[in-house]
This record gives sequence, structure tokens and C-alpha cells, in this order.
Amino acid sequence: MNPLSQTLSHASRIGVIARHAFTQLVRMKVFYFLAFFAVILIASNFFNLPQHEGPESAGINILRSIKSWSLGAMTLFSVVLSIVATALLLPKDVEDRTLYTILAKPVPRLDYLAGKLLGVLLLVFVSLAMMDVLMTGILHLRTNMVLADQMAMAEARSWPAADIALLKSDILAQGPTASLQGAVFSVFLRATIIASMAMLISTFSSSTLFTTIISFLIYFIGHFQADARAAYLTQEAGTSDSFWMRGISLLISLVLPDFQLFNVIDAVIEGQVMPLMILGKLTLIGLFYFVFYVIASWFVFARKEF
Amino acid sequence: MTQGKRYAALALAILGMGAVRMPFEQALSKELFAAGLLPPKLEVKTSERIGQTFSAVSLGGLRTLVATFLNLRAFSYFTEQRWAEVGDTFDTIVDLSPRTRYYWDTGSWHQAYNAASHYLYESKLPALRRKLGWRESILKGRSFLERGIRNNPGDPVLRERLGFLLADPNKIAAFGDVGKAYGDSYDAYMSAVETGSGRGMAERFALYSLARIPGREKETLAMAQRLHKEQGANTTTMLSLLYTLGYHQDPTQSVAALIDSVFPSHEVAYDVLTGLWLRTRDRFPVHGVAQGIALLEVELKVPAEKSILKKDLPSPMNPDDYFQPNR
Repeated sequence: MNPLSQTLSHASRIGVIARHAFTQLVRMKVFYFLAFFAVILIASNFFNLPQHEGPESAGINILRSIKSWSLGAMTLFSVVLSIVATALLLPKDVEDRTLYTILAKPVPRLDYLAGKLLGVLLLVFVSLAMMDVLMTGILHLRTNMVLADQMAMAEARSWPAADIALLKSDILAQGPTASLQGAVFSVFLRATIIASMAMLISTFSSSTLFTTIISFLIYFIGHFQADARAAYLTQEAGTSDSFWMRGISLLISLVLPDFQLFNVIDAVIEGQVMPLMILGKLTLIGLFYFVFYVIASWFVFARKEF
Repeated sequence: MTQGKRYAALALAILGMGAVRMPFEQALSKELFAAGLLPPKLEVKTSERIGQTFSAVSLGGLRTLVATFLNLRAFSYFTEQRWAEVGDTFDTIVDLSPRTRYYWDTGSWHQAYNAASHYLYESKLPALRRKLGWRESILKGRSFLERGIRNNPGDPVLRERLGFLLADPNKIAAFGDVGKAYGDSYDAYMSAVETGSGRGMAERFALYSLARIPGREKETLAMAQRLHKEQGANTTTMLSLLYTLGYHQDPTQSVAALIDSVFPSHEVAYDVLTGLWLRTRDRFPVHGVAQGIALLEVELKVPAEKSILKKDLPSPMNPDDYFQPNR
């Protein structure tokens, strides 16, 4: 078999396993979450939540609220789903004895793990895409409503054309922008890292609960990783205290992923532009973690006996 | 390879991977902070204020969402007129979401306008307490806006809001030296213009503040003439400034000729000048206004008993007038 055929064969196997994992998860009715998400969106858009709006900002804060609620819900959903679904996959296959059937066939364990993980990521991706479509649609409608109101206000006050153009660009910056799509993709990248890491933990953990708890802990501590790294890089060596502090800071920096990098989402919610180069770098980091954790998972899983 | 060795090798690989990615992540982190794409670290007191649960949530990548919740909470405090809690909540909100103009704007507005009005009209409080509360609220609102500007140096709107607050006739007495407040207002408006993304009208508002600083009449007239020419600005205040400052420059000139050179008609001139005469609280210069009105009243055949010059003028805003014990 030539290398190209081998690669295609691996890809085909991974695809089959990923599709199976995706179907398996869909049958767990995870998409019901979308109904909850839709309710959140409707609440943030159509109900007048108690907040202040001056005549020159009427409606603009609603746009920010819609983004804030939506991306918050997407973050929660993607993190929970990535961790729980990944933590469930291996134990469930063992429990259903599907794993034995698969491994009895000429399926490399790396293909099995990669397929399972891609199945989870496909589910997260599809869910995020559906939420994104809902968010973008609602945001588009609301932006047009706000724009119409504000333009009418500006014209009634005889604002100069240049000022009206500024107001328009201010409002549009809070609407559905390319940066907002970048933020949704960043949510997916963060979910990719957390799912890959949960996969690694599940290869040596004894229970689903253990994997879930440890993954959530790592997720939260990962948001402090940048602080630990900064502490390590700025602390002065010399005293015994600083030796231990530096050691602990270094360990945290080396072992845990830096999830704080993905908090660029907040800046996008505030209306800032996310440059494509930044998104590219975040994607590289996400890929780096994904590849490393899959290989590390395989390294543990390859010799595991069932 | 035994299982122990396997795990040891995995641990080494994780540490090695960490060492490889650390410089890249550090550089990217710095780049994001420099570009303002990552918010500053939360202060310890902020974490204490929002509590452990909210801290965990906000650090878990949901800072803006927590800020949105707290904004709803701040509204409840506002409806209950709990001004200290409103201030504390907005302090937390802007720590969580320091680049959102709305929070700085609204937080400042609650203090400088809503809380200040509450103290102005709260008859159950003693006069001195009301006066202190009124002044403190306005100063807090100002300082909150100034903090917002330091956090968002490129934002023209916050600078405009500061300029507006400092020149507000209902608030200006709280700042002590009125001339200095107008000077600060002018600086705030001009700094909004200098950001390059400010509204054109910001420069006109800067002019209105400059016009009220004693001793800067010549500079104001030059600026008014430039804006009148460049922007075609023909607002009532602009026309009245062109007249009063023109008169100030040469009080010996013919008033009739000055009126003809500034206003499109004598009826408009009369409307503008009488309006300016009565707007004492706005503290605009009134050089030559009485002379102009007198001339126009003769020309427009306004009965002497209906002369605007015979009306009592309202006194400019003075906290002492507002916080009399019997009010």
C-alpha cells in the first residue's frame, strides 16, 4: 500500500469513528440546549431588560448585551460539552463493549482516539455554528432597528453628515462583524484544547467523574496560567521563598494551557476589532495543543489493556 | 516500557511541550495586552467585591457576561436610590469590562446627574447634608469619567461627556472655580477632537466653553469665525458669540453694522439676542447685547413696556440658592 493510500485509509477510518461518535452524542439529545440558547437570545433581544439608555445611545447597549449573553452561553456550552462528552466517550465504549469490537479489528488506536475526539469537536462545531447563525440573525435584525432609530434621531437634531457617519460606524461595530465570527471561532478553539486535554486525562483516569472534575479544575486554573508565567518570569531568584514560588509558577506555566489568551472574546464583545493575524496565532496554538494531546493520549492508550 | 516509565516519559513530554510553547504564549499575551485585546488583571478588591462564584465565572472567560449581570443589579440599586451601592457596582463593572464606553458613561451619569438631583430635591435631608451630597456626587461622576478616559484614551465620546459635565450650568458650581471648569471643559472637548474620531460638533462645543473663560475673547472670536466659515455653523449660540465677541473686540463700532454683518435678518437678531440676554445661567458673554436689543426694539417697534431689558433676569446657578434650609 502506498503512503497516499495509507493516509486515505487512516482518514477514512477516523472519519467513520468521528461520525459514529457524533451520532452517539446527538442521540444523547445535547441539541436541546439550543432551545435554551434561543430563549436566552429572545430574552436579551425582545424583553426590555432594566438598564439605562440615553437618547444618543438608545439600543446600542442592547447589541452588546446580545453578544455578551450569546458568547457567554456559547462558552459555557462548549466547555461543558467538550469536557463531559469527551470524559464519557471512552468509559461508555468500554461499558457497551464497543471498544473491544473496534480494537479487535485492524484499527490503530491513534485512529480510534482521533476519531472519537473529532466526533466531539464536530458536535461542538455544529452546535456553535447553529448558535452563531441564531445570534448573527438576531443581531442583524436588532442592529438594523437601532440604526434606523439612531439615524432618525441624528437627522431630527440636524447632525452634520460626518457625525452621522461616525454614529453609523459606531453602531455597526456593535453588530454582526467579522471579528464576532472570529470570537465564535476562538470559543471553538478553546473548546478544542479543553476536549483534547480531557481526552488525555480520560486515557489514564479511573472514572468519568474524575476526568470531568480534573478537566474543569484545569480549565479554571488555566485562566491563571498567564499570571503564574508572569510571576515566574518577573520573580527574582535568590531567597528560598522565591525558589519555591518560582518552581510552582514554572510548573503551572509548563503543564497547564493558557486559556486567558482566548479572553479576546471580551474585547470583541466590547466592539473591538480582532485582527486576522491574532486569530491565526490562536488557531496555531489550538492546533498545537490538539496534536500534542492526541499523540500523548495515544502514547498512554496504546499499551492500555482492557 | 513499564507503565511507570511511560507516565514519566509523558510527564517529561508535557514539560518539554510547555517549554516550547512558553515563549510563544508569552509573546502573544504581551501583544494582546498591548493591542487592548486582553483586559487588565482583576484587582484583588474587585474579586472580593464580586465574590468567589462570580470571580470564578469571570475568570473563566465570562467577564463581560458578569459585567452585564452587574449592570442589571446596578439598575435595581438606582431604582432604590442606593447611591453608594450604585457607585460600588459600577466600580466593579468597569474593572471587569474597562473598554466598554457605556459603563463609564452610565456610571458617571448616575453619580453626577441622578444622585446629584436626588440630593438637590431630597427635602427630608438637612440643607448642609444635601449640599455636600450634591457636590460629592458631581465630583464622583467627574472622577469616574476621568478614570474612563485614562482607560480608553482613544475614545472621543467620554471626553465629550466630560466636557459637557464641566460646562453644565446646573453642575458647574460644584467645581468651585467656574472659569477653571470652563477651561477644563474646553480642554476635554478639544482632546475629543484631537483623537481624530470625534464628532465635528465637539469643536463647536469646545468653542462654547472657551467663550465663557474670561480674558480669552480674542482667541474665541478667531475660533468662532473659523468654524462659522469652515463648518457653516449657524446655530443660535454661534451667531450670538460672533456678535458679542465682535462687539468686545471694538466697542466703538456701529452696532447696526455689526448686527447686519452677523445675522440674516433683524427679526432673527432680536430673537437670538433676547434669548442670550435671558440665558444668564449659561454665563455666555453679553458684550453689546443690551445696545443691540435697544436698537432692534426701536426698529421692530417693540412697546417700551414690553422691552426685554426691563424684565428681571434669573440669577445664575448658585448652590447657596438651592440649599436654603427652607427649600
